[in-house]
Amino acid sequence: MGSRASTLLREEEIEEIKKETGFSHSQITRLYSRFSSLDKGENGTLSREDFQRIPELAINPLGDRIINAFFPEGEDQVNFRGFMRTLAHFRPIEDNEKNKDHSASEPLNSRTNKLLFAFRLYDLDRDDKISRDELLQVLRMMVGVNISDEQLGSIADRTIQEADQNGDSAISFNEFIKVLEKVDVEQKMSIRFLH
Amino acid sequence: MSEGEMAKLMEEVEEKKKLIATIRNKPWRMKRRLTHLKESQQFVDKFEGALGKGKGRKWYAYKVMMKKKWIKFQRDFENFRTACIPWERKIKEVESHFGSSVASYFIFLRWMYGMNLVLFGFTFGLVVIPEVLMGLPYGSIPRKTVPRAEQDTAQDYSVLMDFNGYCKYSVLFYGFYNNQRTIGLLKFRLPLSYLMVGIGSFGYSLMVVIRTMAKNADVGGGDGEDGEFTFAWKMFTSWDYLIGNAETADNKYASITTSFKESIVDEQENQKDENIHLRRFLRVLANVMIICSLGGSGYLIYFVVKRSQEFASRDDLSWYEKNELEIIMSLLGLVCPPLFETIAELEEYHPRIALKWQLGRIFALFLGNLYTFLFALFDEVNTKLEEEDSIRNASLWAMKEYYANFTLNPNDTEATPPPMDPSDVIRGPCWETAVGIEFVKLTVSDIQVTYLTILIGDFARAVIVRFLNYCWCWDLEAGFPSYGEFDISGNVLGLVFNQGMIWMGAFYAPGLVGINVLRLLSSMYYQCWAVMATNVPHERVFKASKSNNFYMGLLLLILFLSLLPVVYTIMTLPPSFDCGPFSGKPKMFDVIMETIDLDLPAFLGTLFSYAANPGLIIPAVLLMVLAIYYLNSVSEAYQNANMELKKKMQMARDEEKNRRNNTDSTNQVMKDLEDLLPNRSLAPPAPEHEKEEPPSKPTKVKPGAAGKNVNLQKDVALASPNPTQPNPHARGPVNRPPGPRGPGPMPGPRGHPAGPGPGGRGRGRPGPPPPQ
Repeated sequence: MGSRASTLLREEEIEEIKKETGFSHSQITRLYSRFSSLDKGENGTLSREDFQRIPELAINPLGDRIINAFFPEGEDQVNFRGFMRTLAHFRPIEDNEKNKDHSASEPLNSRTNKLLFAFRLYDLDRDDKISRDELLQVLRMMVGVNISDEQLGSIADRTIQEADQNGDSAISFNEFIKVLEKVDVEQKMSIRFLH
Repeated sequence: MSEGEMAKLMEEVEEKKKLIATIRNKPWRMKRRLTHLKESQQFVDKFEGALGKGKGRKWYAYKVMMKKKWIKFQRDFENFRTACIPWERKIKEVESHFGSSVASYFIFLRWMYGMNLVLFGFTFGLVVIPEVLMGLPYGSIPRKTVPRAEQDTAQDYSVLMDFNGYCKYSVLFYGFYNNQRTIGLLKFRLPLSYLMVGIGSFGYSLMVVIRTMAKNADVGGGDGEDGEFTFAWKMFTSWDYLIGNAETADNKYASITTSFKESIVDEQENQKDENIHLRRFLRVLANVMIICSLGGSGYLIYFVVKRSQEFASRDDLSWYEKNELEIIMSLLGLVCPPLFETIAELEEYHPRIALKWQLGRIFALFLGNLYTFLFALFDEVNTKLEEEDSIRNASLWAMKEYYANFTLNPNDTEATPPPMDPSDVIRGPCWETAVGIEFVKLTVSDIQVTYLTILIGDFARAVIVRFLNYCWCWDLEAGFPSYGEFDISGNVLGLVFNQGMIWMGAFYAPGLVGINVLRLLSSMYYQCWAVMATNVPHERVFKASKSNNFYMGLLLLILFLSLLPVVYTIMTLPPSFDCGPFSGKPKMFDVIMETIDLDLPAFLGTLFSYAANPGLIIPAVLLMVLAIYYLNSVSEAYQNANMELKKKMQMARDEEKNRRNNTDSTNQVMKDLEDLLPNRSLAPPAPEHEKEEPPSKPTKVKPGAAGKNVNLQKDVALASPNPTQPNPHARGPVNRPPGPRGPGPMPGPRGHPAGPGPGGRGRGRPGPPPPQ
């Protein structure tokens, strides 16, 4: 009663989320309990500090960017719907979905959408290109001071050289897809519901 | 089961239920009705449980729950097994800071520890424990007692350190074991077990080494080998998002850094363009110099051994002359490896390859070491064998004397004399124990030298550099001594040769394997600590080769080399007459003969004697050689097939890449090409082709070109939804004049649904109506 009532999940909501994201009933309830455990303020929304309490995100070099991906433009709180919308990218691709032919709107967890999510982590200024400077920023976060600046510069140049196909010295989304063609993105970017 | 599948299943079950209900009304034969009824009932029974209804649901739910529990149990067990792998975290730490090549040494060390543990289990459980539990205790028989002459000094520390005194007459060495055929209540056949364990250790080691080599040789088949996107992948996919522990995260950072550095080194190697002739000349020069130094050291060793033989006969030796052999060997071992390394700088190999060359050269050097050791040992054995004859006669004579003296006692003329006190019996020289002692001493001194080298060469050096740096003229850390780098080749070779010694000595000193297990265990902790605390990563960090087979190959070689002396002694040298489990027999393997004669049924004995016939063995050997040859050629054939498949895959991928990137241009080119082709008489049916082809796809089966046609259309559909695309290929067959068929119908006028049909027809399709 009282303060908890507004945060309980109703059946209609579950149905809507199911339609939007494709998660099953049990998966949604499980994710809801995770949401509630993160929500220390018990007001039905998560803030950035709540996310930073997760150790895996705190020590991740790209942690801040991942957290940003949950929050829509300019807002500081995310409710359960928004939370699920972002997590929908990580739904595992089921076998019978792989062979479905391409319907009008691709589901949120298709390979392309997963890669788009990853791409947006690197492309901060949203110009649909990963430039050399953005790569240098990521490198510095990953490697720190252990490698000299010129070597970092050469690594960034080499990366662009490997991936770039149209010669614009930046990695576009299509080139990004090509680079990760042989990586098993469907399996790696999926939550594994173990049961 | 997902919800979509659930719904589908529910529908099907409903359908089947409906069928069951209405089956009486269907106008079918009885037999058909019965089969359908049975099928539907089975279906409903099976799956209604899944839907939570019907009779079968409890059983089904139970089955599902058990299956889930089983999967969970398997997962937990796998986790537990992985967690049980010892030292995994330590090795990962070393790997992330120092690179995979240094870590490969520690992985090798851990593997050796496992193998030695198993050997220790065999030896301890099947030889030592039975003798201790069921054999005669210390002091009861001559071979188990310290001779009276040595008893005063038997407990002295210096004597014990030399493995004489009480050590010599203990379970550690060969001489302690009694030659009773069976001991204890269980009638445990100790001599047989001793021999079998000795041979079994070699067999087990061989099997384990070869199995590991075979596992490592699994060439990762696949298309990821060309290293297309090395740096891009490292940048985008190297972080492990499941890491939650801060320490692990630090390790991960270090390993990402190391991995980038390794790739940089690899890149630099690939991009070096240089003067090939100069390089080749330098390499030949370096090899010549190294061969000269190896030859020189070989001659030096030979010379020193000869001198030591002369010294053995003299008595007035100075300290230097007594220990000349050991001093020269240690000097060679200390001086030559750095010399080889400096010469190897001329060659400018990739660090991974340079490491292999260095290993090979030091291996050759140490073989000389081994040669002298064995030579000296055999000398000793021969002298002892000669001694034995005379001592045996002497001891028998002494026994007779003792009994003769005893019977002079007038009171007890009929009592048997008490046996002579064991410590008074004259003892033979027991060459096997002497050999065992040599091996144990060698191993122990090796351990001491290794630990001291690490302590002084690495630890003391690091301490001096760190603390003296404050008050020294030049920068000690960057300049001359600086911190040491981990010496991979020296350590690996030390490990390999040590194992060779163990294999050789384990037969004569069963306790040696136990000593080695302790040594490997302490070495793991000690060296891990030393590496992390006192060493710096190599300047050029390089990735270890994917397979550890090089180390395994060296190990295999040493295994064979150490097998030979042991087998030789078992087969040819006579065992001592008064010590060890084979005493009294003419040859050691006579134990087996004895067992076959006495313990096994008679026919087995005759069977073995037939099997030992050379007429049978030689054809068996020939057969094995043929089998090896056959398997070799089969494996080569597979490798070739593999290469071909890889090439084909690469070609297919390139083609698709081209097609996707250049759809327009290929279209244009193909179109132009078609325009140039003669026989444009068939051009009019082309539009009809377009209209008629899509609906008739399933019937358009052409022999020969059929597969290609269908495939291309599918491929092309992916690449570009260009309706004119099928034509270039579909037109081809049509262009052929419909020769073979008499009536020769034209596609168009016939109004035949299948476009390219006339060129060749689908199998089994009813032909066009005959042209009546």
